[in-house]
Amino acid sequence: MHIPAFSLFSAISELFVTAGVLFVVRRNWTRRTFPFALFIGVALFEGLINVMYMAKRAADASGTAVATEAAAHALSAVMKIGFAVHGLLSLLAYLVFVVLGVFAHQEQQQDPPRWFFRERPALTWTFLALWVISIGSGEVLFALRYLG
Amino acid sequence: MRAPLLVALWALLAFEAIGGLVIFFARLAAGTLPGEAAHVYAGIALTFAYAAYQWGHWNRVAPFRARLDYALGLIAAVALALTQLSGFALAWPWWLARGTATPAAYGSLLSGAHNVMSMFVLTFVGAHLGAVLQRDARTRRGAIL
Repeated sequence: MHIPAFSLFSAISELFVTAGVLFVVRRNWTRRTFPFALFIGVALFEGLINVMYMAKRAADASGTAVATEAAAHALSAVMKIGFAVHGLLSLLAYLVFVVLGVFAHQEQQQDPPRWFFRERPALTWTFLALWVISIGSGEVLFALRYLG
Repeated sequence: MRAPLLVALWALLAFEAIGGLVIFFARLAAGTLPGEAAHVYAGIALTFAYAAYQWGHWNRVAPFRARLDYALGLIAAVALALTQLSGFALAWPWWLARGTATPAAYGSLLSGAHNVMSMFVLTFVGAHLGAVLQRDARTRRGAIL
Protein backbone atom coordinates (compact mmCIF):
# COMPACT_ATOMS: atom_id res chain seq x y z
CA MET A 1 0.00 0.00 0.00
CA HIS A 2 1.18 3.53 -0.76
CA ILE A 3 2.32 5.36 2.37
CA PRO A 4 1.60 9.13 2.32
CA ALA A 5 4.77 11.15 2.88
CA PHE A 6 3.27 13.08 5.81
CA SER A 7 2.28 9.81 7.52
CA LEU A 8 5.78 8.43 7.17
CA PHE A 9 7.33 11.69 8.36
CA SER A 10 5.04 11.77 11.37
CA ALA A 11 5.67 8.13 12.32
CA ILE A 12 9.44 8.64 12.23
CA SER A 13 9.47 12.08 13.85
CA GLU A 14 7.38 10.77 16.77
CA LEU A 15 10.37 8.60 17.69
CA PHE A 16 12.66 11.64 17.73
CA VAL A 17 10.11 13.57 19.79
CA THR A 18 10.02 10.67 22.24
CA ALA A 19 13.81 10.78 22.45
CA GLY A 20 13.53 14.50 23.25
CA VAL A 21 10.95 13.89 25.98
CA LEU A 22 13.10 11.16 27.54
CA PHE A 23 16.16 13.43 27.37
CA VAL A 24 14.32 16.27 29.16
CA VAL A 25 13.14 13.93 31.93
CA ARG A 26 16.53 12.25 32.25
CA ARG A 27 18.39 15.56 32.59
CA ASN A 28 16.11 16.53 35.45
CA TRP A 29 16.29 13.04 36.95
CA THR A 30 20.10 13.15 36.98
CA ARG A 31 20.09 16.68 38.49
CA ARG A 32 21.48 18.47 35.50
CA THR A 33 20.46 21.76 33.86
CA PHE A 34 16.96 21.77 32.42
CA PRO A 35 17.18 21.84 28.58
CA PHE A 36 14.59 24.58 28.20
CA ALA A 37 15.22 25.27 24.49
CA LEU A 38 14.85 21.58 23.69
CA PHE A 39 11.69 21.38 25.82
CA ILE A 40 10.09 24.32 23.97
CA GLY A 41 11.26 22.95 20.62
CA VAL A 42 9.81 19.51 21.29
CA ALA A 43 6.56 20.97 22.66
CA LEU A 44 6.03 23.25 19.64
CA PHE A 45 7.07 20.63 17.10
CA GLU A 46 4.81 18.01 18.65
CA GLY A 47 1.94 20.47 18.83
CA LEU A 48 2.21 22.13 15.47
CA ILE A 49 3.35 19.26 13.28
CA ASN A 50 2.44 15.93 14.73
CA VAL A 51 -0.76 16.73 16.56
CA MET A 52 -1.86 18.75 13.54
CA TYR A 53 -1.23 15.67 11.45
CA MET A 54 -3.12 13.49 13.91
CA ALA A 55 -6.07 15.87 13.99
CA LYS A 56 -6.13 16.11 10.20
CA ARG A 57 -6.04 12.34 9.88
CA ALA A 58 -8.74 12.07 12.49
CA ALA A 59 -10.92 14.53 10.59
CA ASP A 60 -10.29 12.62 7.35
CA ALA A 61 -11.02 9.28 8.95
CA SER A 62 -14.31 10.48 10.44
CA GLY A 63 -15.92 10.34 7.02
CA THR A 64 -17.73 13.70 7.37
CA ALA A 65 -15.10 15.60 5.44
CA VAL A 66 -16.32 15.99 1.90
CA ALA A 67 -13.16 15.26 -0.04
CA THR A 68 -12.07 12.26 1.99
CA GLU A 69 -15.15 10.10 2.15
CA ALA A 70 -13.54 7.35 0.12
CA ALA A 71 -10.61 7.15 2.52
CA ALA A 72 -12.96 6.95 5.48
CA HIS A 73 -14.79 3.94 4.04
CA ALA A 74 -11.48 2.10 3.77
CA LEU A 75 -11.11 2.06 7.57
CA SER A 76 -12.69 -0.64 9.69
CA ALA A 77 -14.73 0.25 12.78
CA VAL A 78 -11.99 -1.12 15.03
CA MET A 79 -9.39 1.05 13.30
CA LYS A 80 -11.61 4.11 13.69
CA ILE A 81 -11.97 3.46 17.42
CA GLY A 82 -8.22 2.88 17.58
CA PHE A 83 -7.60 6.24 15.92
CA ALA A 84 -10.00 7.95 18.33
CA VAL A 85 -8.39 6.39 21.41
CA HIS A 86 -4.91 7.18 20.13
CA GLY A 87 -5.98 10.78 19.44
CA LEU A 88 -7.31 11.28 22.96
CA LEU A 89 -4.23 9.64 24.50
CA SER A 90 -1.94 11.87 22.43
CA LEU A 91 -3.76 14.99 23.55
CA LEU A 92 -3.54 13.92 27.19
CA ALA A 93 0.13 12.92 27.00
CA TYR A 94 1.02 16.21 25.32
CA LEU A 95 -0.85 18.27 27.91
CA VAL A 96 0.81 16.43 30.80
CA PHE A 97 4.27 16.79 29.21
CA VAL A 98 4.00 20.56 28.84
CA VAL A 99 2.56 21.14 32.32
CA LEU A 100 5.11 18.88 34.05
CA GLY A 101 7.95 20.40 32.00
CA VAL A 102 6.94 23.88 33.13
CA PHE A 103 6.89 22.71 36.76
CA ALA A 104 10.31 21.06 36.39
CA HIS A 105 11.79 24.18 34.79
CA GLN A 106 10.44 26.48 37.50
CA GLU A 107 11.56 24.23 40.34
CA GLN A 108 15.11 24.10 38.96
CA GLN A 109 15.27 27.89 39.04
CA GLN A 110 14.81 27.95 42.80
CA ASP A 111 17.75 28.42 45.11
CA PRO A 112 18.60 25.70 46.00
CA PRO A 113 17.22 24.00 42.88
CA ARG A 114 14.65 21.23 43.19
CA TRP A 115 14.34 18.28 40.84
CA PHE A 116 10.70 17.84 39.95
CA PHE A 117 10.81 14.48 38.19
CA ARG A 118 13.41 13.01 40.56
CA GLU A 119 11.35 13.94 43.62
CA ARG A 120 8.15 12.46 42.15
CA PRO A 121 9.08 9.02 40.77
CA ALA A 122 5.51 7.67 40.74
CA LEU A 123 4.25 10.65 38.76
CA THR A 124 7.26 10.52 36.44
CA TRP A 125 6.92 6.82 35.66
CA THR A 126 3.16 7.15 35.18
CA PHE A 127 3.73 10.00 32.72
CA LEU A 128 6.41 8.05 30.85
CA ALA A 129 4.13 5.01 30.64
CA LEU A 130 1.33 7.21 29.28
CA TRP A 131 3.70 8.73 26.75
CA VAL A 132 5.03 5.37 25.56
CA ILE A 133 1.50 3.95 25.23
CA SER A 134 0.43 7.05 23.31
CA ILE A 135 3.37 6.89 20.88
CA GLY A 136 3.32 3.10 20.71
CA SER A 137 -0.38 3.04 19.80
CA GLY A 138 0.35 5.48 16.97
CA GLU A 139 3.15 3.33 15.61
CA VAL A 140 0.96 0.20 15.85
CA LEU A 141 -1.85 1.95 13.96
CA PHE A 142 0.65 3.08 11.33
CA ALA A 143 1.92 -0.48 10.92
CA LEU A 144 -1.59 -1.95 10.73
CA ARG A 145 -2.75 0.67 8.25
CA TYR A 146 0.19 0.69 5.87
CA LEU A 147 2.37 -2.33 6.54
CA GLY A 148 -0.18 -4.99 7.47
CA MET B 1 -19.23 34.19 45.15
CA ARG B 2 -16.09 36.32 44.74
CA ALA B 3 -15.49 35.96 41.00
CA PRO B 4 -18.65 34.97 39.10
CA LEU B 5 -17.10 35.80 35.72
CA LEU B 6 -14.16 33.49 36.38
CA VAL B 7 -16.49 30.71 37.54
CA ALA B 8 -18.61 31.15 34.41
CA LEU B 9 -15.48 31.07 32.26
CA TRP B 10 -14.22 27.85 33.87
CA ALA B 11 -17.66 26.24 33.57
CA LEU B 12 -17.95 27.13 29.88
CA LEU B 13 -14.37 26.06 29.19
CA ALA B 14 -14.98 22.70 30.90
CA PHE B 15 -18.26 22.24 29.00
CA GLU B 16 -16.58 23.03 25.68
CA ALA B 17 -13.56 20.84 26.43
CA ILE B 18 -15.61 17.78 27.44
CA GLY B 19 -18.14 18.37 24.65
CA GLY B 20 -15.35 18.80 22.12
CA LEU B 21 -13.66 15.57 23.19
CA VAL B 22 -16.98 13.71 22.97
CA ILE B 23 -17.57 15.08 19.46
CA PHE B 24 -13.97 14.25 18.45
CA PHE B 25 -14.32 10.65 19.64
CA ALA B 26 -17.86 10.06 18.34
CA ARG B 27 -17.09 11.62 14.96
CA LEU B 28 -14.17 9.28 14.50
CA ALA B 29 -15.60 6.12 16.00
CA ALA B 30 -19.24 6.36 14.92
CA GLY B 31 -19.49 9.23 12.43
CA THR B 32 -21.90 11.13 14.70
CA LEU B 33 -21.66 14.59 16.28
CA PRO B 34 -23.52 14.47 19.62
CA GLY B 35 -24.25 17.81 21.23
CA GLU B 36 -23.09 19.79 18.21
CA ALA B 37 -25.62 22.62 18.67
CA ALA B 38 -24.85 22.95 22.39
CA HIS B 39 -21.13 23.08 21.54
CA VAL B 40 -21.72 25.98 19.14
CA TYR B 41 -23.98 27.98 21.48
CA ALA B 42 -21.70 27.46 24.49
CA GLY B 43 -18.77 28.47 22.27
CA ILE B 44 -20.48 31.79 21.54
CA ALA B 45 -21.08 32.32 25.27
CA LEU B 46 -17.45 31.38 25.98
CA THR B 47 -16.23 34.02 23.52
CA PHE B 48 -18.07 36.80 25.34
CA ALA B 49 -17.15 35.52 28.82
CA TYR B 50 -13.49 35.18 27.84
CA ALA B 51 -13.33 38.64 26.23
CA ALA B 52 -14.75 40.22 29.38
CA TYR B 53 -12.44 38.24 31.65
CA GLN B 54 -9.31 38.89 29.55
CA TRP B 55 -9.99 42.63 29.54
CA GLY B 56 -9.98 42.76 33.34
CA HIS B 57 -7.12 40.28 33.65
CA TRP B 58 -4.89 42.28 31.33
CA ASN B 59 -5.62 45.52 33.17
CA ARG B 60 -4.51 43.75 36.35
CA VAL B 61 -1.27 42.13 35.06
CA ALA B 62 -0.07 44.59 32.34
CA PRO B 63 2.55 45.33 31.13
CA PHE B 64 3.90 42.15 29.58
CA ARG B 65 6.99 40.80 31.36
CA ALA B 66 9.66 38.44 30.04
CA ARG B 67 8.63 35.59 32.33
CA LEU B 68 7.51 32.03 31.72
CA ASP B 69 4.04 32.50 33.26
CA TYR B 70 3.43 35.53 31.00
CA ALA B 71 4.64 33.68 27.90
CA LEU B 72 2.41 30.70 28.70
CA GLY B 73 -0.55 33.02 29.28
CA LEU B 74 0.07 34.73 25.95
CA ILE B 75 0.20 31.40 24.11
CA ALA B 76 -3.04 30.34 25.85
CA ALA B 77 -4.72 33.62 24.88
CA VAL B 78 -3.65 33.37 21.22
CA ALA B 79 -4.69 29.70 21.10
CA LEU B 80 -8.10 30.49 22.58
CA ALA B 81 -8.64 33.32 20.08
CA LEU B 82 -7.72 31.01 17.17
CA THR B 83 -9.92 28.24 18.58
CA GLN B 84 -12.89 30.59 18.71
CA LEU B 85 -12.22 31.92 15.20
CA SER B 86 -11.88 28.42 13.71
CA GLY B 87 -14.97 27.41 15.71
CA PHE B 88 -16.99 30.21 14.15
CA ALA B 89 -15.72 29.19 10.71
CA LEU B 90 -16.87 25.62 11.42
CA ALA B 91 -20.21 26.87 12.77
CA TRP B 92 -21.05 28.54 9.47
CA PRO B 93 -21.64 25.32 7.46
CA TRP B 94 -23.45 23.93 10.51
CA TRP B 95 -25.75 26.96 10.50
CA LEU B 96 -26.44 26.61 6.77
CA ALA B 97 -27.15 22.88 7.07
CA ARG B 98 -29.38 23.05 10.16
CA GLY B 99 -32.89 21.74 9.59
CA THR B 100 -31.90 20.05 6.32
CA ALA B 101 -31.24 16.38 5.66
CA THR B 102 -27.74 17.12 4.39
CA PRO B 103 -25.00 17.00 7.03
CA ALA B 104 -22.72 20.02 7.33
CA ALA B 105 -19.58 19.75 5.18
CA TYR B 106 -16.66 20.59 7.42
CA GLY B 107 -13.24 21.16 5.89
CA SER B 108 -10.84 18.59 7.31
CA LEU B 109 -7.97 21.07 7.64
CA LEU B 110 -10.12 23.61 9.46
CA SER B 111 -11.51 20.89 11.68
CA GLY B 112 -7.99 19.65 12.42
CA ALA B 113 -6.81 23.19 13.20
CA HIS B 114 -9.75 23.67 15.57
CA ASN B 115 -8.87 20.42 17.37
CA VAL B 116 -5.19 21.34 17.67
CA MET B 117 -5.92 24.86 18.90
CA SER B 118 -8.37 23.47 21.45
CA MET B 119 -5.65 21.16 22.72
CA PHE B 120 -3.26 24.12 22.90
CA VAL B 121 -5.83 26.02 24.96
CA LEU B 122 -6.18 23.22 27.53
CA THR B 123 -2.42 22.64 27.62
CA PHE B 124 -1.31 26.24 27.97
CA VAL B 125 -4.14 27.37 30.25
CA GLY B 126 -3.12 24.47 32.51
CA ALA B 127 0.58 25.34 32.24
CA HIS B 128 -0.09 29.08 32.80
CA LEU B 129 -2.22 28.38 35.86
CA GLY B 130 0.31 25.86 37.19
CA ALA B 131 3.20 28.30 36.72
CA VAL B 132 1.34 31.11 38.50
CA LEU B 133 0.25 28.91 41.41
CA GLN B 134 3.76 27.49 41.77
CA ARG B 135 5.28 30.99 41.71
CA ASP B 136 2.80 32.21 44.34
CA ALA B 137 3.53 29.19 46.56
CA ARG B 138 7.25 29.90 46.30
CA THR B 139 6.68 33.55 47.20
CA ARG B 140 4.63 32.51 50.25
CA ARG B 141 7.34 30.06 51.36
CA GLY B 142 9.95 32.81 50.96
CA ALA B 143 7.86 35.20 53.05
CA ILE B 144 7.50 32.62 55.86
CA LEU B 145 11.23 31.86 55.89
